[in-house]
Amino acid sequence: MKIKKGFVLREVGGETVVVPVGELSKTFHGMINLNETGAFLWRFYTVDHTIEEGVEALCGEYEVEKETAAADVEKFAAILTNNGFIE
Amino acid sequence: MVYDIAGLRVRIENKHEYTTKFCREYLSEDQTSPCDITASVTDEAFAEEKSLSPNFSGGYIENICLYRSICQQMPLRGRMLLHASVLEYDGNGYAFLGKSGTGKSTHTRLWLTHLPNTRVVNGDKPILEDTKDGFIAYGTSWRGKEGWGCKGQVPLRGLCFLEQAKENSIRRLTPAEVTQRLFVQILLPEEENAVVATLELADSLIKKTPAYLLCCDISETAVKTSFEAMTGREYENSKKAGNEYED
Repeated sequence: MKIKKGFVLREVGGETVVVPVGELSKTFHGMINLNETGAFLWRFYTVDHTIEEGVEALCGEYEVEKETAAADVEKFAAILTNNGFIE
Repeated sequence: MVYDIAGLRVRIENKHEYTTKFCREYLSEDQTSPCDITASVTDEAFAEEKSLSPNFSGGYIENICLYRSICQQMPLRGRMLLHASVLEYDGNGYAFLGKSGTGKSTHTRLWLTHLPNTRVVNGDKPILEDTKDGFIAYGTSWRGKEGWGCKGQVPLRGLCFLEQAKENSIRRLTPAEVTQRLFVQILLPEEENAVVATLELADSLIKKTPAYLLCCDISETAVKTSFEAMTGREYENSKKAGNEYED
């Protein structure tokens, strides 16, 4: 899984936000607000990785159970897929 | 022709007469020195805007597109468009923001009615500049359907997001809350560098400018509530003398 090119990720007002640029900005308007886990996963999946690799990375970064991490990554992947953000 | 807009030299390449008249107040005395920004409208942008507003004249459509072109180039020059009504009171600027129909114009009118030394800098689409001393709001020719505004600039001292309510109350917003509310009131360009610059400007605006949520009706109490919170002054000592006898 890899996030499409054409997003900018920045801190605004202490929040992590993602905004589409270029062609993507014509079809997707507005901004995406990420929590800490979301921001971590967003950065991780700007490079092509499997779901399992995401779970491992999340467990390495935060003190979470593998099942919790897996649920988080799958939820994250579903949201991205449903919005057409995956290559 | 070249115009002085928000402290920059802006060359506007319009085909229709409309914008020449619309911007005449901002025409630069110096038509020959280099410009900071050149604004023109592509056929594609014109056609897209026309399809959204088929009943408007070509000049009007071109005029909307030109301001968008100007404002999309502003972020790389430390400036951004804010959808807000900016008032000047006693030399300080206060911005009122909210979704269309929440009462920006009504609340602006209340300040004008009840407070002395008050004027509208831009009733709808001011350009803000980030400076080391805080943000500055500029009047421009583009200023909303009421046409409220003037040629001038004012240091921006507060952002006030409006919501309609039966009781008047005001509170400070956290940076995270401002981020959520601000995004629908700014123009996001398409080009990556300009988007990054816009996000940095938004972050700076949130850091430098206190922001409030005003829940308000359309009474004088609404003005008292926003005025006292944003200026730190007492309303009773500041309002126009005898305004209780006005409509």
